[in-house]
Amino acid sequence: MIDILHSAFVEATNNVFQLMLNITDISNHPTEDFKCEDEIDISIGVIGDLQGEVIYRFPVATSINMVNIMSGMEFEQVDAFVTSAVSEIANIISGNVLTALSTSDMKCDILPPAQYKPDENKEYEIKTSCCISTTIGEVCLEIRLNKAS
Amino acid sequence: MLWKDRYELGVPEIDAQHKELFRRVESFLKVLRSGVRWEEKIPEINETLEFMKKYVVEHFRDEENYQLSINYPLFEEHKKTHTDMVNYVLEVSKQYEESGYNEDLMQQFGGRLLAWLINHVASADQHIADYARKKGMDGND
Repeated sequence: MIDILHSAFVEATNNVFQLMLNITDISNHPTEDFKCEDEIDISIGVIGDLQGEVIYRFPVATSINMVNIMSGMEFEQVDAFVTSAVSEIANIISGNVLTALSTSDMKCDILPPAQYKPDENKEYEIKTSCCISTTIGEVCLEIRLNKAS
Repeated sequence: MLWKDRYELGVPEIDAQHKELFRRVESFLKVLRSGVRWEEKIPEINETLEFMKKYVVEHFRDEENYQLSINYPLFEEHKKTHTDMVNYVLEVSKQYEESGYNEDLMQQFGGRLLAWLINHVASADQHIADYARKKGMDGND
């Protein structure tokens, strides 16, 4: 299950970067290599057969580069516009994963994007992460889910 | 420019509408992101927002009619995406008016609209074109 979810999120992220940002030079590497202090953390809640959240950690530089490519404009700092645009991208990636998984027996839905608030006390059966590296910067995904009882 | 040639579907009528939609969104974003004081931008923002609300509905209706004309199998799913977006636009507009034209609300709306539109045209709408091509119904034929 962990491998299936891990691959599905990596593939969906790659596809979105290709289709929306026209970036094809994409590679994956372990999250331990991800070093970033200034980032936008977006949480997408998951409900249904799987419950929990997926956290998207977009470094500020990556976020601004993404919005610059999409808009053709020059953004210099993170504000409500940039945060909302990268939140929608997290929403799109997560939605695509659930659509891909819906052909299996798993039925899940996602909640609207929200700024991530850490709660390290929660326990998860499925806990995995991945870091995706592109020419405009990295993005790190942390998948934290439980099977519905 | 917001519009990229790779977004073209090969259906002239829909491509022309997409270009117009992108042009309108681009002008909206330019006003939204200009260095002018927010209070001074409000009339133009409101005017563009009103136009977009009408144009989005019109474009979605035409695109759905095209899908019906080619018996597009994912019509209902695609229509739901359109309906959800129209509802979001109407809800934000309502909140924006009730808030006395709050800038942050419009900036959030602009960011989401930009990402949503690009994904919708670069991904979801391309499936319509792929289907039409497979069925030999390419609008350029």
